[in-house]
Amino acid sequence: MNPLLLFLIPLLPLLGGVFNACCGSRLPQRLVAAVAVLSVAGSFLSSLLLWPLGAGEGTRTVLFSWLQSGGFRADAGILFDPLAAVMTLMVTGVATLIHLYAAGYMEHDENQARFFALLNLFVFAMLCIVLADNLLFLFLGWEGVGFCSYGLIGFWYRKTENASAGRKAFIVTRIGDLFFAIALLWLFREFGTILIEQINARAVELDPLLLTVLTLLLLGGACGKSAQLPLMTWLPDAMAGPTPVSALIHAATMVTAGVYLLCRMFPLVSLSTTGMAAIALVGVLTALYAASCAVAQREIKRVLAYSTMSQIGYMFFAVGVGSVSGAMFHLLTHAFFKALLFMGAGCVIHLAGNENDIYRMGGLKRKSPQVFWLFLIGILCLAGTPLTGGFFSKDEILLTAFARGDGFSAILWGLGVLTAGLTSFYSFRLLYLVFFGEPRQAEKGHSVSPLMLWTLPLLALFGLFGGLLNLPHLFGGHQWLSHWLGQPAGVSLSLGTELGLLLLMLIFFGGGWLIAHLRYRRFPGDEQADWRSFLLNGWQFDRFYEFILVRPYRTVCRFCWQGGDKALIDGIMDGISRLCLHWGGYARKLTTGQVAFYLQGFAWGLLLIVGWFLLSAVK
Amino acid sequence: MIVPLEHVLFLSTILFILGLGCVLARRNLIMILIGVEIMLNAVGLTLVGASAFWQQVDGQIMVIFLMAMTSAEVSISLAMVVYLNRRKGTVDVRAFDEMRG
Repeated sequence: MNPLLLFLIPLLPLLGGVFNACCGSRLPQRLVAAVAVLSVAGSFLSSLLLWPLGAGEGTRTVLFSWLQSGGFRADAGILFDPLAAVMTLMVTGVATLIHLYAAGYMEHDENQARFFALLNLFVFAMLCIVLADNLLFLFLGWEGVGFCSYGLIGFWYRKTENASAGRKAFIVTRIGDLFFAIALLWLFREFGTILIEQINARAVELDPLLLTVLTLLLLGGACGKSAQLPLMTWLPDAMAGPTPVSALIHAATMVTAGVYLLCRMFPLVSLSTTGMAAIALVGVLTALYAASCAVAQREIKRVLAYSTMSQIGYMFFAVGVGSVSGAMFHLLTHAFFKALLFMGAGCVIHLAGNENDIYRMGGLKRKSPQVFWLFLIGILCLAGTPLTGGFFSKDEILLTAFARGDGFSAILWGLGVLTAGLTSFYSFRLLYLVFFGEPRQAEKGHSVSPLMLWTLPLLALFGLFGGLLNLPHLFGGHQWLSHWLGQPAGVSLSLGTELGLLLLMLIFFGGGWLIAHLRYRRFPGDEQADWRSFLLNGWQFDRFYEFILVRPYRTVCRFCWQGGDKALIDGIMDGISRLCLHWGGYARKLTTGQVAFYLQGFAWGLLLIVGWFLLSAVK
Repeated sequence: MIVPLEHVLFLSTILFILGLGCVLARRNLIMILIGVEIMLNAVGLTLVGASAFWQQVDGQIMVIFLMAMTSAEVSISLAMVVYLNRRKGTVDVRAFDEMRG
């Protein structure tokens, strides 16, 4: 197989996006959607066909040299190794299904061309991140997904809050991007190359302190994109975008870019003990924080947003305890079931008549059993119900953490288990509030388009049986994913311990479910308490940032604007012009328009000149 | 040369100052033009006197030119005076102050 064919994978969505951006608005909407779906589906098929290229060491191929200056060289190059292959297949596969779903979801929207162009460009940029063989090309994709995310969150930009949510996402992730950019430049300075393979291979040469700094910088970049503490405030607001966007960008793909970056740079990252500890800590704290927030959310998509944040926290945790395969495993299963949940939420919102508040839903099980069963599968995976995909992947992460044995990991493990309990609780709370009890919505909902409904079962299937990808030995599996990634799990626990941990997970899962069942099986009425509004607002982090960052910044801006620009610069300019005007007023009085006055001027001038000549003649 | 140069210069200076005084003092446009003519003729007189003093013909040629130019100037300016008189019904310079700043 020609390795250059690999470029088909990112280029097909790019072509589709450019085509839709250029002439989409003049074409029938159905054609626009078809072009978008087909280009991504083509990309999926080619990544499926080119799969063998990813085996073993992988394939590296260069299309053209993008930038070259002195020792600096950045190619448009692809590194298709096992990690990238898995990720590519997931991204294109999920993206294809979501594009199909979006074709149904956006049926009645006027701006389909803009929507699908941005969606396709997003897939292109995401594939750049996944496939890039050097950090600059990766960074191109990194910024590209940021831009497309901004455009899609604020897709219905006529509502101010949507536009400002897009802006917030853009700005907050930009802070993370800054760290990543610094890390990129620093790595180039140290190694003289930005090829990921070479940097990873030569990472051992670096000074340990420098390694830690670089790891922390990369972590900062990853935190921004993946909505981890402390740069997580944008994700819940990003739910202002259309639901397919939330499913694609803010659940399955873009937010996992941070995890992917850390996995990609794992050989470098893993050398720094402090850095790894920081990654694990950030992951677990975010998981716990987001889960606690999800418990009190009222909007269906915000619950899912916080749960996404929480699950990505688990992935960071996995990277932090040194298990790339665990992180990737959870990333894959999470992508399937979270996309399923988001798209199910889109159906739910349609069924409930554009109602977002789960306290005003209820009784949807009778209305659409099909959506209920699909959503149930998603919830079961999210909650970590035994034998679903989410259970195995989460279990592997916690198992790896437990197996490390030191005190720090043990504490993090404990927090992770606690989070699993919370996850189970808020998942079932969502399920009970939305589907059980009596209907509470004010409006009569409309039916769901079949295109939306028929994309879901496939995802449900993947979510449910995703565990087979990396089935642990305990259940008779062979850990296929770990072997494929060349990282056979080093976890060696006795059978008894492993079964004990399993039982513990079961207890936490069951406990969460039981509490949710007892409390929410019947609608408990609107809940409004202080501690809930604290959690509802995400621990008031928005207000905190408003207070320590936004307001001082605004004050400085106001000072620069009012004090610097208006008072100082404008003052000087206005002063000069007023002076000229004032003196000009005197000069103006000289032009009386009287001929006699001018002639007098001539005469005096003449006298002056003659007098001067006379004087100089006398001398 | 019978008349000394000093006398010629003295006379032309007096003529020039008279003309200048006429230009500055009078308000009537025609009188101002007459003043200008007197000043021009004073200059012409100086040129003729100088020409006679140095026995060179240049000054007299200049005066011929001056006369031709003056006649042209007078015809144009009188035409303008007629025009201005038609516009405002007066030839008083104080009436024409539209160029006031």
